[in-house]
Amino acid sequence: MTLTWLQLVGLTVLGIAAGGAGSLTGIGGGLVITPVLTLLFGIPIHQAIATSLCCVIATSTGAAATYVEHRLADIRLGMTLELATTLGAITGSFVAGWLSREALAILFALLLTYAGSTMVRRSLKGREIEAAGQERYQAKRLPLGLAGSGAAGVVSGMLGVGGGVIKVPLMYLVMGVPFKVATATSNFMIGVTAAASAFIYYSRGDVRPLLTAPTAVGVFIGASLGAHLMRRTPSRWLVLLFSAIAYYFAVLMVWRSLHGGFAR
Amino acid sequence: MVEFSDEKAQDAISAVLRYGSLLSTAVMAIGLALVLWRGQVMPRSGALSLGNLLYSALRLDPAGITEVGILLLLLTPVFRVVVAAVSFGLERDVKYLVISLGVFAVVLTSIIFAIH
Repeated sequence: MTLTWLQLVGLTVLGIAAGGAGSLTGIGGGLVITPVLTLLFGIPIHQAIATSLCCVIATSTGAAATYVEHRLADIRLGMTLELATTLGAITGSFVAGWLSREALAILFALLLTYAGSTMVRRSLKGREIEAAGQERYQAKRLPLGLAGSGAAGVVSGMLGVGGGVIKVPLMYLVMGVPFKVATATSNFMIGVTAAASAFIYYSRGDVRPLLTAPTAVGVFIGASLGAHLMRRTPSRWLVLLFSAIAYYFAVLMVWRSLHGGFAR
Repeated sequence: MVEFSDEKAQDAISAVLRYGSLLSTAVMAIGLALVLWRGQVMPRSGALSLGNLLYSALRLDPAGITEVGILLLLLTPVFRVVVAAVSFGLERDVKYLVISLGVFAVVLTSIIFAIH
């Protein structure tokens, strides 16, 4: 294994960008890391996903520390739903091992499209959601929440994303949890979900230290910087830009799958 | 709604997360620095086992240290679950003690796959 300066810098910059974007927009760096690694760096998608999972752990852990400190995360609810997400994550990770690179790329493209659309809708909805605060609540519809969390776990394990794109709406819209608590709790849950997946990828040899470490260190830097530069509410155009990028990646992933695939 | 002991639990959990991410990132960074300094590194031979890994870390093997850093990163959320379980136990919150132990059991199975 070698690591050239160019690779190191490239991976670290990617990490910083992903960490910063995740920190500023609240939307996963995981969605960005896998496509860039696959399309730009030419990394096999299973390794890219493994790297992405580790970076997702890095972002989640840092963010969750702050959310718990500020008493925003519902730890009990999170732990309950984690039963489902971790089981889903392990399942998803195994399934990913059985799928071809092209198949995973197409599934990833679907996720990117879904995420892009969610972002567009969210930016159009504006600030009303953010305003909802710390009112008392009772999480409802637990069975549905567990099922949804299980699905989010599968997606996380299979595609290397945090799954917040599914978990936050699930808690907020379906379970009646206030938006900020949903975001904080989702962040809290992502760490252990991704960890459960990551160990499975580790067992397959998909975790490459010289690939993962620079990116993860970059994510840490980016997320910390993002938190400092932070304007808690991301500007509308930033989120829209992000969706544009997501759609662009989706198209690229599909195109690559259909034209020559990812064989190296 | 939040009891005194719950405060301590949340402090403990956020501390684990905070220090875990700092430590793992530091170790990864050190490993990477060594990799760059040494240039070419030997790929890890042999199966992943704690013994192998600790041994290579003690020899200041760059790849080994980097890998230890990554493992620390992956284990931080796991430690967090353990701390949560202990906190629930201390609070005599049996329901959530059982739930956290359940989560721990699931993650443990996946760790076992990694070590096998």
